[in-house]
Amino acid sequence: MINTGVKKELSMTAELEKNLGKKRANLSPYLYIGPHLILFAIFFLFPTLYGIYISFTNWDLIGTPEFVGFANYKEILFNQDSTFYDQLRNGLGNTFKFVLFTVPACIIVPLLLAAGLNTKPKGLKFFQALFYMPTLFSVSAVMIVFSMLFSVSFGPINHYLNVETNWLATQPYAWITLVIVTIWWTIGANMIIYQAALNGISKDLYEAAAIDGANSIQKFFRITLPSIRAQLLYTVVITTIAQFNIYGQPLMLTKGGPTSSTTVLLMYIQKNAFGSGNSIAGIGSAMAVILGLCIMVVSAIQFFFLRQRD
Amino acid sequence: MAKKRTVKFVSLLFLLLMSFIWIVPLLYTIITTFKSEADIQSNAFTILPIHWVIGNYQDVLFDNTSAPVAKWFMNSLIISVSQTLLVVVIVSLAGYGYSRMKFKGRDAIFVFLMATMMFPAVVNLIPLYKIIDTLGWVNNNLAMIVPGATGVFNIFLVRQFMQGIPKEFDESARVDGASDFQIFIKLVLPMIRPVLTVVALFTFTASWNDFLWPSIVFNDVEKMPITPGLQLLQGMYSLDIAHALTGALVAIIPTFILYLFTQKYFMESLSLSSGVKG
Repeated sequence: MINTGVKKELSMTAELEKNLGKKRANLSPYLYIGPHLILFAIFFLFPTLYGIYISFTNWDLIGTPEFVGFANYKEILFNQDSTFYDQLRNGLGNTFKFVLFTVPACIIVPLLLAAGLNTKPKGLKFFQALFYMPTLFSVSAVMIVFSMLFSVSFGPINHYLNVETNWLATQPYAWITLVIVTIWWTIGANMIIYQAALNGISKDLYEAAAIDGANSIQKFFRITLPSIRAQLLYTVVITTIAQFNIYGQPLMLTKGGPTSSTTVLLMYIQKNAFGSGNSIAGIGSAMAVILGLCIMVVSAIQFFFLRQRD
Repeated sequence: MAKKRTVKFVSLLFLLLMSFIWIVPLLYTIITTFKSEADIQSNAFTILPIHWVIGNYQDVLFDNTSAPVAKWFMNSLIISVSQTLLVVVIVSLAGYGYSRMKFKGRDAIFVFLMATMMFPAVVNLIPLYKIIDTLGWVNNNLAMIVPGATGVFNIFLVRQFMQGIPKEFDESARVDGASDFQIFIKLVLPMIRPVLTVVALFTFTASWNDFLWPSIVFNDVEKMPITPGLQLLQGMYSLDIAHALTGALVAIIPTFILYLFTQKYFMESLSLSSGVKG
C-alpha cells in the first residue's frame, strides 16, 4: 500500500526532474540526508541485523557471542523441560490473548464514538478532547491511576459497585481490567482518524440509499464501512502492531499475575536480557525474533484479507 | 425529520455515558491529590476532600529522596526538548534532501527506508543496549536522545508535505543565484513550519512517554526520566494512594498543557498520517 503510492510519485518527480535537465553531481545532497542515514545505520539498522545474528549465539551481553546455530530456537520451541520453553509458550500465548481481547474493541469503540460525534452534537469539541486526551499520558501514569481505581479495599470502583472483587489478582478480572484500561488509554487516535474519514463520505450516497429504501444497518454495511476501508485497514494493522508490543500495562497493573497468567513475552525478554543475574541475551533475542515474525505474519494476513475484497 | 432527531438523541446519550467513563479517572486523580492520606484512610469515599491539602505535592516533589519526582521531571524535560530539536533539524534536512535534491540512488534509498518501517523494533532492543553501553551512555540522556532520531516516518511526512510546494519557488530563487542551503533556510523552512510543528509535538510526547527503553538504559535513580521513574514511585507508595496519584498527575501535566495549546495540530496530523496511506 505504502510502496505503490510512493513509487508512483517518485517516478513522476523523477521525470519532472529529467525535463528540467539540471544535473549537479556534487556531495551536497549527502550533507542533507547524511545525518539521518548515519544515525539510522548505527542505532537502527545495525542493531536490528545484529539482533537477528545474536539469536543464533549464546551471548551474555558481556563476552564475545559464540555461534550456536539453531540451539536457542530448539531450546525455546521444542525442549519441554526448559524454563525458556515454558516462558515462550506462556508469554507468547498471553501476548496473543491480549491482542485478541483488545484489538476488536480498540476498533469498534472509537468507530462508535466517531459515528456519534459525526452527528455534530453539542459539546463536540469537549467530547473529542476528552476521549483523545489519555493517549497523551504515559503508560506508567495511567497504570498508577487504574491500580488505585481498581484497588480492592480503597478503590472507588469496588465501593460504588458494592462488591469486593480482587480485580488485579484474580482471573478473569485481571484480563478484564487490562482490556478496559487499554481501551481507555489508547482509542483516541483511531477515533480522530475515523472522524475525518466519516466526514469525507458524501451525503449523496446516503440519500440515494434512503430513496432505494435502505435501513440504517444496510447503510452502515453497504456505504459507511466500504467508504472508510483504507482507514480501517490502516488502524487495524497499526493497532495490532501496538498491542503485540504490550508491556507496561501488565507489568505495572497485574505484575504479570495471578500466577503468570498475564505475563507477556516482552516481560520475559526484558527479564532474560536485562534482569538480575546472568544475562541470557541469546535466548532473549531468539524470543524477540519470534515475536517480530509473529507481528510481521499477522500484519501481512490482515493486509491480505482487508485488501482482497476490493 | 423525527428519525434524524432520534439518531441525534441516542448518540448524545451514548457520548454522555462514555464521557462519564472517560472523565471519572481524571477527576478522581485530580481530587484525590488534594486529600490527606489520613482522610482517605478514615473516610475513604467522600467525593470532595474534607480538608483540601497541598502537602502531597510538597512531599512528592521535594521531600522524597528515593523518589525524586522534581528531578525526574527536569530530566524528562531536558531529554524530550533536546530530542525534539534534534529530530526537527535532522528530519527537515533529510526531507529536503529526498524531495528536492537530485542524486544517484535517492529513490532507492528512500524506498528502502520506508520498507524498514515494517520491521518490528523489538528485535534491536538488546544490541542497541550494548551499543549504548559501549559508548558509555548508560544513565546518560544521550541514550534516549540520539536513538530517538532514527525514525523514518517523520521524514516521510515532511517529504510528502514538501512535494506539495511548487518547484517553481526554488527554481526562480536558483535563477536569482541562491545556493541550495540558502533556498533551504530562507524558502523551504518557513513553508514547512506546519508539518515540522506536527513532527515536534509527536516527538515530544513520544519521548516524554517512552517507558520500556529508558527503564533499560537508566538504573541510576537520580538520572532517570519521569516515565520509568513512576514505576519506582508505584512500588514505594503502593499503599499511599494520594502520593502515588500526585506523582502520576505531575507526570502528565506537560503533555496535557501542550495539548491544550496545540489541539488543532494534533487533530490535523492524525488525519494527515492516516490519509496518506491506502
